[in-house]
Amino acid sequence: MLNILQALYLWEHSKEINSIKEKAAEHFVISAKLDPHNPNAFRYLGDYYSQVSLDSTRALKCYQRALSLLPNDSYIGESICDLLDKEGKESLEIAVCREASEKSPRAFWAFRRLGYLQVYQKKYSEAVQNLQHAIRGYPTSADLWEALGLAYQQLGMLTAAIKSYGRAIELEDSRVFALIESGNIFLMLGSFSKGVEQFQDALRISPQNVAAHYGLASGLLSLSKECINSGAFKWGSSLLEEASETAMASTTLTGNISSLWKLHGDIQLTYAKSYSWMDEKQGLQDDELAFTNSILTWQKTCFSAAVLASRSYQRALHLAPWQANIYIDIGIAVDAMCSLKEKEINNLYALQLPEKMTLGGLFLEGYNDEFWVALGCLSLDAALKQHALIRSLQLDVSLASAWAYLGKLYKKEGDKRLAQEAFDRARSIDPSLALPWAGMSADSYTREIKVDEAYECCLRAVQIMPIADYQIGLANLALLSGNLTSSQVFGAVRQALQRAPHYPESYNLNGLVYEARHEYLTASVFYRLARCAICASEKGSNSRLRDISVNLSRSLCKAGNAVDAIVECENLKKEGLLDSKGLQIYAFSLWQLGKNELVLSAVRTLASSVLSLEKTSVPGCISFICRLLYYISGKESAIKSIMKMPKDLFQSSKVSFVLSAIHALDQRNQLDSVVSSSRCFVVSPAEITGMHILIALGKLVKHGSENCLAIQNGVNHLRKTLHMYPNSGLIRNLLIYLLLCNREWNSIHLATRCLVVCDSDYQKEEDFRSPIEILGAAAVACYSGGNHSDKLSLPTCRGQCLSGHEAIQRLQKWLRQEPWNKSARYLLILNYLQKAREQRFPRHLCILLERLTSVALSDQFHSKRDQYQKFHYHIGWIGLKYMESQYKLQSVSPGIELNFEECSKEIRYSWHMWMAVFDMVKGLIAISSQDYLQAEEFLSQSCSFASDESCLFLCHGAICIELAKLQCDSHFLSLALKSLKKAKGTSPAPLPFVSLLLAQVEGSFGSETKWENNLQLEWFEILFPVN
Amino acid sequence: MKLAWLRTQDGAHGDSVWTTTWVPGNEESPALLLTGSLDETVKLWNPEDLSLIRTNSGHCLGVVSVAAHPSGRIAASASIDSFVRVFDVQSNNTIATLEASPSEVWQLKFNPQGTVLAVAGGGSASVKLWNTSEWKLVGTLSIPRPEGVKHSEKSGTKKFVLSVAWSPDGRQLACGSMDGTISVFDVARSKFLHHLEGHCMPVRSLVYSPIDSRVLVSASDDGHVNMYDVEGKTLFVSMSGHSSWVLSVDVSPDGAAIATGSSDKTVRLWDPKMRAAVQSMTNHTDQVWGVMFRPPGGPGVRTVQLASVSDDKSISLYEYS
Repeated sequence: MLNILQALYLWEHSKEINSIKEKAAEHFVISAKLDPHNPNAFRYLGDYYSQVSLDSTRALKCYQRALSLLPNDSYIGESICDLLDKEGKESLEIAVCREASEKSPRAFWAFRRLGYLQVYQKKYSEAVQNLQHAIRGYPTSADLWEALGLAYQQLGMLTAAIKSYGRAIELEDSRVFALIESGNIFLMLGSFSKGVEQFQDALRISPQNVAAHYGLASGLLSLSKECINSGAFKWGSSLLEEASETAMASTTLTGNISSLWKLHGDIQLTYAKSYSWMDEKQGLQDDELAFTNSILTWQKTCFSAAVLASRSYQRALHLAPWQANIYIDIGIAVDAMCSLKEKEINNLYALQLPEKMTLGGLFLEGYNDEFWVALGCLSLDAALKQHALIRSLQLDVSLASAWAYLGKLYKKEGDKRLAQEAFDRARSIDPSLALPWAGMSADSYTREIKVDEAYECCLRAVQIMPIADYQIGLANLALLSGNLTSSQVFGAVRQALQRAPHYPESYNLNGLVYEARHEYLTASVFYRLARCAICASEKGSNSRLRDISVNLSRSLCKAGNAVDAIVECENLKKEGLLDSKGLQIYAFSLWQLGKNELVLSAVRTLASSVLSLEKTSVPGCISFICRLLYYISGKESAIKSIMKMPKDLFQSSKVSFVLSAIHALDQRNQLDSVVSSSRCFVVSPAEITGMHILIALGKLVKHGSENCLAIQNGVNHLRKTLHMYPNSGLIRNLLIYLLLCNREWNSIHLATRCLVVCDSDYQKEEDFRSPIEILGAAAVACYSGGNHSDKLSLPTCRGQCLSGHEAIQRLQKWLRQEPWNKSARYLLILNYLQKAREQRFPRHLCILLERLTSVALSDQFHSKRDQYQKFHYHIGWIGLKYMESQYKLQSVSPGIELNFEECSKEIRYSWHMWMAVFDMVKGLIAISSQDYLQAEEFLSQSCSFASDESCLFLCHGAICIELAKLQCDSHFLSLALKSLKKAKGTSPAPLPFVSLLLAQVEGSFGSETKWENNLQLEWFEILFPVN
Repeated sequence: MKLAWLRTQDGAHGDSVWTTTWVPGNEESPALLLTGSLDETVKLWNPEDLSLIRTNSGHCLGVVSVAAHPSGRIAASASIDSFVRVFDVQSNNTIATLEASPSEVWQLKFNPQGTVLAVAGGGSASVKLWNTSEWKLVGTLSIPRPEGVKHSEKSGTKKFVLSVAWSPDGRQLACGSMDGTISVFDVARSKFLHHLEGHCMPVRSLVYSPIDSRVLVSASDDGHVNMYDVEGKTLFVSMSGHSSWVLSVDVSPDGAAIATGSSDKTVRLWDPKMRAAVQSMTNHTDQVWGVMFRPPGGPGVRTVQLASVSDDKSISLYEYS
């Protein structure tokens, strides 16, 4: 024991003096002999032999002895292993570690060492176990976590690898290896943005790291491809620019890595294929030169990117000419260059270059099926294409892309059956491939599928791959299938524009889509651009130009710009390209400008051309002519012209509607036979109900007098029709509407009973009135109708008791769905008002009403648009004022009167009435505050505004009596007499209270007979009417 | 033994300059410098002031190799698409176009007698010989497939032939492959003689010593410059010093010095006797693809010049003494 202490002392204080160490070693030897179970002696001896006397055999022996005594000691273990490592005895090293690890589970050093060695020897699955065990001993060792991550990664356990690397990075954030490898794994797993983050972190730590640069650039490339595939071209381009910079930065670090150049080529090629034209520049349609230039600049950018791609691929190839895939890449890049500059490359050899380069790749790797597919795409010769594609299918029969391209080839060759077969195979192998879907939609004729189905197929192709050709095809199919308003089509054509700005059709389709969305001005801008594009491409045929010009004039005409539309048409006329469609637009625009003479001559030309038209466009043409004739020369002359026309022109539902409409207005029924013969072409249910409605409306007009429509006739017809078509909401709604319109007010409860409100459908149908609106109106009508028929002052309608509450609920739903809808809000207010009346104005309802009204008012305050709205506006202010005073609610806006006067200036028609009503309200307010003199003033003012409104006079009379009573002034009494008499005189129906009050006045003047007469009148006319 | 920088032509080409050769002087004109570049052109330069004499176009992809006939009247250029154009140096008239399968044309060299153009055949694992009188293919020197390896399709890429060199007497031809082996052929008998081993990465350039047909110098991506005794089939000197690939090598006309160009952006001069680099030129800013000594002869030249071309689009001239 003493020996060892002495030795330790000497050892520790020996510093670098070997003689003292030797002495210490002697002591260690002695102590080891004395106590062979003391590991320390052996340990220090081992140190001595390895460090001082450099006798590694002895050192090993000592260490081994020490280790067998103390297997957990990492110092001893590491020393042995280092010694063995130095001598290159790897297997011995492993044996030592294994032994120690088997001896003691706490010999973590052994597990660690073993783990590292096994990773080095690529025995990853064993390494994982040992490393995991070692981590229990050294949980904060970043090295261990990193090694574990590597082992997992090599075993393909990528998620586990990411976690391990993540732990290593957590422990030490400067772990470049872990960052790069986890970035690589993220890229492999497809989470590109996470990968990009890792590489960016790695670059921050080690800005010269080529692997990190490569990873970052390829991550950005993948990310941008994701963007581009989803159609976000600009985003993709900006990512590509960043990626290209990164790749270039790394090539300046090391220029001789082939894969870096290939990556740069990939980035540039993707850029060339995704760089989008900036269509935001407005005003291009006016300046043809600027437009052409902007397209040329776009083309140039794409072309130079393709050139850069080709150059980078060539560098990659120059560095590694044995890499077959780079030959293909060069071929693709050159092909992209050729496609961008078709006009300028007339050298046949340059055109054949892609094919030749692909062959180069195939010479090196003839067994690669994808190279054969590339040859099939890049070759110019159809036979070679077919051979290449079939060869690739021989190598791999389930190569979907080969089948797809084969289908395309066959389609081009005109072999529809084979094309269809090939596309079908490709689709069944890989449904996520865009081309077969596009192919399927393209040969919808041979497949005998409907346009809608073709549209769906093409939509799928576009969604998989946003390629301009597919997008243009989609828009064309949408035009045929009537899906132009769909936002998918909108997005597609907008994108098509970005990638094919040199293609006139893309502008034309954009115009059509905008036109379908009722944005005519934008549409006309696009048509103009389309024309520019045709002129720029210099091979636009006249028929394309004509179609676009016709489209342009139509959209101009729809936008209300008849002058420009006429200019366009006249230009066409000069060139002799004005066809029947153009002529229609021309005539219509002229009519809008009121140039009737010219219109008639145009119509005559149109009529003379009718017989030479295609069958499908005849009805449109005829109905257009009829309508124009009606508008310009009136009913009689139109009827005459129609009678002159050959009858076989009317064989269409379209024409039948126009004829029926004219017929409905004609009291003399001159068109009876024509109409009835044409009606047999009305076949579809929707058209039939439409025709019935037209007939019903016609009956209203025909059987009615000058000022009064024959509603009952219409109702009768509609009842019969409804019996035939009980499902038709349109007929039902019209029926109810007519019932409500009926002046007799007796069928309102019927109306509400007929009503079928279906929650789902009232948005779809573009009726003139939605059922819910009618319901609300009916509820209101019940109230006012009831008021009219009943002699009592505040009755409720008997028939609507049930529907009142329901109506309010429905209206609330409606308002919730269409918060912008003014009539919904209005009807709701009215319904609530009625409810409030029924319940004698409970306070909570009043508050509710006030809120609703003020919301409605503030809405309308911002959008003073038409008279109809202003109507609500006034009544709203008045109502608000009244309620405010009546119920002493907190004032919403102090300037109600000001507001009212402000807006009353804009009233044109019923200004007097409004002023009268407002004064009356002010008077009523004065009464309620018991300021009777003021009230009298307001009311007399009100009477002066509206001299034929009996109620106002009644009010005035009443207040005068009250004043006379209070002030005992006969002046007021005479005023009262005058007003009451006037009230009685002007009122069409006997008013309540008038006679009573009159009696009172007459009585005060002392005329007993008049008093009695008046009382009797009151008694018999109002309280107990004779009938 | 040293190099002295003479002049540099920056921006000599629109893109990386990949290859260079001297067109030997004759009675009509002094020696000229010919360069080929990624920008698809071949340019002819006057070495006196590095002024441009002519730009030859006609290639559709980058030019990977140029070679000059010993007479100085004819030259050939090859591009990545395996398109070889043989033209008259004076007039730039096309004499012949030799088309090979793509990936099967890399380095070009005329034999010292000027009767045969040897073309390193890339993926075909062979050297193609074209006679210069009729421009017909007269022979193919194929590297024999290693025994035991069956005709698998991948073996072609392993023996991808990148470089070719003629012995000064024109009897022997050596070619360097992607896997680092050098194959030696007897041209007259069209017979494969043997392999020379020692490199482990692609051999992009090799040259016989002009004074001794036994000595072959090679440059490889493994960063080494090796000297072989061709007859004895042995590697006798292996020199390291470049920190990256050695792309090009040439031996000085006196046989005493070796010049190399490398991916580490330097041009080095080596003394084979000392087995070390004696000088390193760092005027290029990107990898140096080609170095070549001006062949002796021609009027008015007393010193030996060295030309180097680089990815930095420039050409440099040095004086070797």
